[in-house]
Amino acid sequence: MPRTARSYRVTIANVGRTIDCAANQTVLEAAVAAGIDFPYTCATGNCGTCCSRLDAGKVALLPRSDAALGPQQKKAGLTLACRARPRSDLAVTWLGRGGR
Amino acid sequence: MTVADKRNRACAKLLADVHAITATEGITPSTLHALKLKLVALAGKAALFPPADFAMPLAEGRNHPLLVEDNDGHGLYLAISLPGKEAAPHDHGIWCVNASVSGRERHRFFRRTDDLSRPGHATVEQVGEVMLAPGTGMAMADHDIHSTEVVGDDPAVSLALYGYALARFPSVAWYHPRFGSVRTSPSRRHAAMA
Repeated sequence: MPRTARSYRVTIANVGRTIDCAANQTVLEAAVAAGIDFPYTCATGNCGTCCSRLDAGKVALLPRSDAALGPQQKKAGLTLACRARPRSDLAVTWLGRGGR
Repeated sequence: MTVADKRNRACAKLLADVHAITATEGITPSTLHALKLKLVALAGKAALFPPADFAMPLAEGRNHPLLVEDNDGHGLYLAISLPGKEAAPHDHGIWCVNASVSGRERHRFFRRTDDLSRPGHATVEQVGEVMLAPGTGMAMADHDIHSTEVVGDDPAVSLALYGYALARFPSVAWYHPRFGSVRTSPSRRHAAMA
Protein backbone atom coordinates (compact mmCIF):
# COMPACT_ATOMS: atom_id res chain seq x y z
CA MET A 1 0.00 0.00 0.00
CA PRO A 2 1.60 3.33 -1.03
CA ARG A 3 2.43 5.71 1.78
CA THR A 4 0.73 9.06 1.64
CA ALA A 5 2.99 12.06 2.22
CA ARG A 6 2.34 13.92 5.43
CA SER A 7 0.17 16.99 4.96
CA TYR A 8 0.39 20.41 6.59
CA ARG A 9 -1.95 23.38 6.81
CA VAL A 10 -0.86 26.48 4.90
CA THR A 11 -2.53 29.83 5.47
CA ILE A 12 -2.23 32.31 2.60
CA ALA A 13 -2.86 35.70 4.13
CA ASN A 14 -3.53 37.57 0.86
CA VAL A 15 -6.73 35.60 0.30
CA GLY A 16 -7.48 34.63 3.90
CA ARG A 17 -7.55 30.93 3.10
CA THR A 18 -6.00 27.88 4.71
CA ILE A 19 -5.27 24.89 2.47
CA ASP A 20 -3.67 21.48 2.75
CA CYS A 21 -0.16 21.05 1.36
CA ALA A 22 1.62 17.70 1.28
CA ALA A 23 5.23 17.49 2.44
CA ASN A 24 6.28 16.58 -1.12
CA GLN A 25 4.29 19.41 -2.69
CA THR A 26 5.31 23.06 -3.03
CA VAL A 27 3.21 25.84 -1.57
CA LEU A 28 2.58 27.09 -5.10
CA GLU A 29 1.42 23.69 -6.34
CA ALA A 30 -1.00 23.39 -3.43
CA ALA A 31 -2.29 26.92 -3.93
CA VAL A 32 -2.91 26.48 -7.67
CA ALA A 33 -4.59 23.11 -7.03
CA ALA A 34 -6.86 24.87 -4.52
CA GLY A 35 -7.84 27.46 -7.14
CA ILE A 36 -5.90 30.32 -5.60
CA ASP A 37 -4.55 32.90 -8.05
CA PHE A 38 -1.07 32.89 -6.51
CA PRO A 39 1.38 34.98 -8.57
CA TYR A 40 4.05 32.98 -10.39
CA THR A 41 5.95 33.00 -13.66
CA CYS A 42 8.70 30.36 -13.96
CA ALA A 43 7.57 28.17 -11.03
CA THR A 44 11.08 26.68 -10.88
CA GLY A 45 13.03 29.15 -8.74
CA ASN A 46 14.42 31.33 -11.48
CA CYS A 47 12.36 34.53 -11.57
CA GLY A 48 11.23 35.39 -8.03
CA THR A 49 7.65 36.29 -8.97
CA CYS A 50 6.24 34.05 -6.22
CA CYS A 51 8.52 35.54 -3.56
CA SER A 52 6.62 35.48 -0.28
CA ARG A 53 7.06 36.35 3.36
CA LEU A 54 7.17 33.30 5.57
CA ASP A 55 5.08 34.57 8.46
CA ALA A 56 5.19 31.33 10.41
CA GLY A 57 6.50 27.79 10.08
CA LYS A 58 9.39 25.97 8.43
CA VAL A 59 10.00 25.01 4.81
CA ALA A 60 12.54 22.99 2.83
CA LEU A 61 13.68 24.82 -0.31
CA LEU A 62 14.23 23.09 -3.64
CA PRO A 63 17.08 24.31 -5.90
CA ARG A 64 16.76 27.89 -7.12
CA SER A 65 18.75 30.73 -8.68
CA ASP A 66 20.75 33.19 -6.65
CA ALA A 67 18.94 35.99 -8.43
CA ALA A 68 15.52 34.71 -7.36
CA LEU A 69 16.23 34.35 -3.64
CA GLY A 70 19.58 35.24 -2.15
CA PRO A 71 20.86 34.34 1.32
CA GLN A 72 20.06 37.82 2.67
CA GLN A 73 16.45 37.59 1.53
CA LYS A 74 16.15 34.13 3.00
CA LYS A 75 17.61 35.38 6.27
CA ALA A 76 15.05 38.19 6.22
CA GLY A 77 12.24 35.65 6.23
CA LEU A 78 11.45 35.51 2.52
CA THR A 79 10.87 32.36 0.55
CA LEU A 80 9.83 31.20 -2.91
CA ALA A 81 6.43 29.53 -2.98
CA CYS A 82 7.45 27.49 -6.02
CA ARG A 83 10.45 26.02 -4.20
CA ALA A 84 9.09 25.77 -0.65
CA ARG A 85 7.85 22.46 0.69
CA PRO A 86 6.26 22.59 4.15
CA ARG A 87 7.97 21.07 7.15
CA SER A 88 5.34 22.39 9.56
CA ASP A 89 2.06 24.27 9.34
CA LEU A 90 2.76 27.58 7.57
CA ALA A 91 1.52 31.11 7.12
CA VAL A 92 2.71 32.98 4.01
CA THR A 93 2.02 36.29 2.31
CA TRP A 94 2.90 36.80 -1.34
CA LEU A 95 4.65 40.11 -1.93
CA GLY A 96 3.45 41.21 -5.33
CA ARG A 97 2.31 40.39 -8.80
CA GLY A 98 4.40 40.39 -11.98
CA GLY A 99 8.09 39.67 -12.45
CA ARG A 100 11.00 41.31 -10.74
CA MET B 1 49.48 36.23 -20.71
CA THR B 2 47.14 35.18 -17.87
CA VAL B 3 44.32 32.66 -18.17
CA ALA B 4 41.85 35.55 -17.93
CA ASP B 5 43.61 37.30 -20.83
CA LYS B 6 43.51 34.14 -22.91
CA ARG B 7 39.85 33.62 -22.03
CA ASN B 8 38.92 37.19 -22.96
CA ARG B 9 40.76 36.87 -26.24
CA ALA B 10 39.08 33.54 -27.04
CA CYS B 11 35.62 34.91 -26.17
CA ALA B 12 36.19 38.03 -28.26
CA LYS B 13 37.26 35.88 -31.20
CA LEU B 14 34.18 33.69 -30.80
CA LEU B 15 31.89 36.71 -30.91
CA ALA B 16 33.72 38.09 -33.92
CA ASP B 17 33.28 34.75 -35.67
CA VAL B 18 29.60 34.66 -34.69
CA HIS B 19 29.04 38.11 -36.16
CA ALA B 20 30.87 37.15 -39.33
CA ILE B 21 28.49 34.24 -39.79
CA THR B 22 25.23 35.93 -38.82
CA ALA B 23 25.98 39.15 -40.70
CA THR B 24 26.25 37.31 -43.99
CA GLU B 25 23.85 34.40 -43.48
CA GLY B 26 21.40 35.53 -40.80
CA ILE B 27 20.01 33.16 -38.18
CA THR B 28 18.99 29.89 -39.81
CA PRO B 29 19.10 26.26 -38.67
CA SER B 30 22.43 25.82 -40.44
CA THR B 31 24.01 28.96 -38.95
CA LEU B 32 22.80 27.99 -35.47
CA HIS B 33 24.46 24.62 -36.01
CA ALA B 34 27.68 26.37 -37.05
CA LEU B 35 27.53 28.58 -33.94
CA LYS B 36 26.99 25.51 -31.79
CA LEU B 37 30.10 23.84 -33.20
CA LYS B 38 32.15 26.96 -32.47
CA LEU B 39 30.83 27.19 -28.91
CA VAL B 40 31.48 23.47 -28.31
CA ALA B 41 35.06 23.98 -29.48
CA LEU B 42 35.54 26.90 -27.06
CA ALA B 43 33.91 24.99 -24.19
CA GLY B 44 36.34 22.14 -24.89
CA LYS B 45 39.18 24.39 -23.78
CA ALA B 46 38.33 23.79 -20.14
CA ALA B 47 41.65 25.28 -18.98
CA LEU B 48 40.25 28.69 -19.99
CA PHE B 49 37.42 28.32 -17.47
CA PRO B 50 39.01 27.23 -14.18
CA PRO B 51 36.44 26.96 -11.38
CA ALA B 52 38.59 29.21 -9.17
CA ASP B 53 37.94 32.14 -11.53
CA PHE B 54 34.17 31.95 -11.09
CA ALA B 55 32.17 32.19 -7.89
CA MET B 56 29.98 29.20 -7.26
CA PRO B 57 26.28 29.86 -6.79
CA LEU B 58 25.19 30.81 -3.30
CA ALA B 59 21.88 29.07 -3.87
CA GLU B 60 21.83 26.80 -6.89
CA GLY B 61 22.39 28.68 -10.12
CA ARG B 62 24.37 31.64 -11.42
CA ASN B 63 25.40 33.24 -14.71
CA HIS B 64 28.80 34.87 -15.13
CA PRO B 65 29.04 37.33 -18.01
CA LEU B 66 32.10 36.47 -20.08
CA LEU B 67 31.87 39.08 -22.72
CA VAL B 68 28.65 40.97 -23.25
CA GLU B 69 28.67 43.17 -26.28
CA ASP B 70 27.36 46.74 -26.25
CA ASN B 71 24.97 48.20 -28.80
CA ASP B 72 22.35 45.50 -28.29
CA GLY B 73 24.60 42.68 -29.33
CA HIS B 74 24.81 39.10 -28.18
CA GLY B 75 25.40 37.89 -24.63
CA LEU B 76 28.00 35.25 -23.76
CA TYR B 77 27.93 33.66 -20.30
CA LEU B 78 29.44 30.94 -18.20
CA ALA B 79 26.48 29.31 -16.46
CA ILE B 80 27.04 27.32 -13.28
CA SER B 81 24.16 25.26 -11.92
CA LEU B 82 24.32 23.03 -8.88
CA PRO B 83 22.82 19.52 -8.79
CA GLY B 84 19.05 19.54 -8.95
CA LYS B 85 18.73 22.99 -10.50
CA GLU B 86 15.89 23.04 -13.00
CA ALA B 87 13.92 25.34 -15.24
CA ALA B 88 10.38 24.68 -16.47
CA PRO B 89 9.73 24.65 -20.23
CA HIS B 90 10.32 28.16 -21.53
CA ASP B 91 10.69 30.16 -24.71
CA HIS B 92 13.37 32.88 -24.56
CA GLY B 93 11.96 34.75 -27.52
CA ILE B 94 15.52 34.85 -28.86
CA TRP B 95 17.91 32.21 -30.20
CA CYS B 96 20.49 30.59 -27.96
CA VAL B 97 23.35 28.11 -28.15
CA ASN B 98 24.77 26.12 -25.23
CA ALA B 99 27.93 24.03 -24.90
CA SER B 100 29.03 21.99 -21.91
CA VAL B 101 32.30 22.62 -20.06
CA SER B 102 31.70 20.04 -17.33
CA GLY B 103 28.87 18.17 -15.62
CA ARG B 104 25.60 17.06 -17.17
CA GLU B 105 22.40 18.97 -17.90
CA ARG B 106 19.32 17.48 -19.52
CA HIS B 107 17.53 19.68 -22.05
CA ARG B 108 14.04 18.62 -23.08
CA PHE B 109 12.39 20.25 -26.07
CA PHE B 110 8.68 20.92 -26.43
CA ARG B 111 6.11 22.22 -28.84
CA ARG B 112 2.94 24.07 -27.95
CA THR B 113 -0.20 22.09 -28.74
CA ASP B 114 -3.14 24.34 -27.79
CA ASP B 115 -4.78 26.87 -30.12
CA LEU B 116 -3.74 29.94 -28.06
CA SER B 117 -7.40 30.89 -27.63
CA ARG B 118 -7.38 31.09 -23.82
CA PRO B 119 -5.04 33.68 -22.31
CA GLY B 120 -2.87 32.16 -19.58
CA HIS B 121 -3.65 28.61 -20.65
CA ALA B 122 -1.34 26.40 -22.71
CA THR B 123 -0.45 22.80 -23.33
CA VAL B 124 2.90 21.50 -24.54
CA GLU B 125 4.26 18.11 -25.52
CA GLN B 126 7.84 16.90 -25.44
CA VAL B 127 9.41 16.43 -28.86
CA GLY B 128 13.05 15.77 -28.05
CA GLU B 129 15.81 15.56 -25.48
CA VAL B 130 19.55 16.19 -25.33
CA MET B 131 21.96 15.47 -22.48
CA LEU B 132 24.52 18.24 -22.45
CA ALA B 133 27.93 16.88 -21.41
CA PRO B 134 31.49 17.84 -22.35
CA GLY B 135 31.92 17.71 -26.11
CA THR B 136 28.24 18.37 -26.81
CA GLY B 137 26.02 21.39 -27.31
CA MET B 138 22.55 22.41 -28.40
CA ALA B 139 21.01 25.24 -30.39
CA MET B 140 17.53 26.76 -30.32
CA ALA B 141 15.76 29.16 -32.66
CA ASP B 142 13.94 32.28 -31.41
CA HIS B 143 10.76 30.65 -30.15
CA ASP B 144 11.83 27.08 -29.45
CA ILE B 145 10.78 25.78 -26.04
CA HIS B 146 13.10 23.89 -23.70
CA SER B 147 13.42 22.84 -20.08
CA THR B 148 16.65 22.17 -18.18
CA GLU B 149 17.64 19.94 -15.29
CA VAL B 150 21.09 19.34 -13.80
CA VAL B 151 21.70 15.60 -13.59
CA GLY B 152 24.09 13.83 -11.24
CA ASP B 153 26.11 14.99 -8.26
CA ASP B 154 28.36 17.55 -9.95
CA PRO B 155 27.62 21.13 -10.97
CA ALA B 156 26.80 21.66 -14.63
CA VAL B 157 29.08 24.30 -16.15
CA SER B 158 28.33 25.47 -19.66
CA LEU B 159 28.83 28.32 -22.07
CA ALA B 160 25.62 30.04 -23.12
CA LEU B 161 25.38 32.38 -26.08
CA TYR B 162 22.15 34.34 -26.58
CA GLY B 163 21.01 36.60 -29.37
CA TYR B 164 20.63 39.36 -26.78
CA ALA B 165 22.38 39.94 -23.47
CA LEU B 166 20.30 38.77 -20.49
CA ALA B 167 19.88 42.38 -19.33
CA ARG B 168 18.15 43.13 -22.64
CA PHE B 169 16.05 39.98 -22.92
CA PRO B 170 12.60 40.07 -24.46
CA SER B 171 9.65 38.58 -22.60
CA VAL B 172 10.18 34.92 -21.67
CA ALA B 173 7.16 32.58 -21.80
CA TRP B 174 7.12 29.84 -19.14
CA TYR B 175 4.95 26.77 -19.70
CA HIS B 176 3.64 24.64 -16.88
CA PRO B 177 2.28 21.28 -18.05
CA ARG B 178 1.13 20.41 -14.54
CA PHE B 179 -0.96 23.59 -14.31
CA GLY B 180 -1.93 23.76 -18.00
CA SER B 181 -0.72 27.35 -17.92
CA VAL B 182 1.66 29.83 -19.50
CA ARG B 183 3.09 32.89 -17.75
CA THR B 184 5.34 35.55 -19.23
CA SER B 185 8.10 37.54 -17.61
CA PRO B 186 8.21 41.22 -18.49
CA SER B 187 10.49 42.23 -21.34
CA ARG B 188 13.70 43.95 -20.22
CA ARG B 189 14.28 45.50 -23.59
CA HIS B 190 12.50 48.86 -23.21
CA ALA B 191 14.05 49.65 -19.83
CA ALA B 192 17.50 48.52 -20.93
CA MET B 193 17.36 50.44 -24.20
CA ALA B 194 15.99 53.68 -22.68
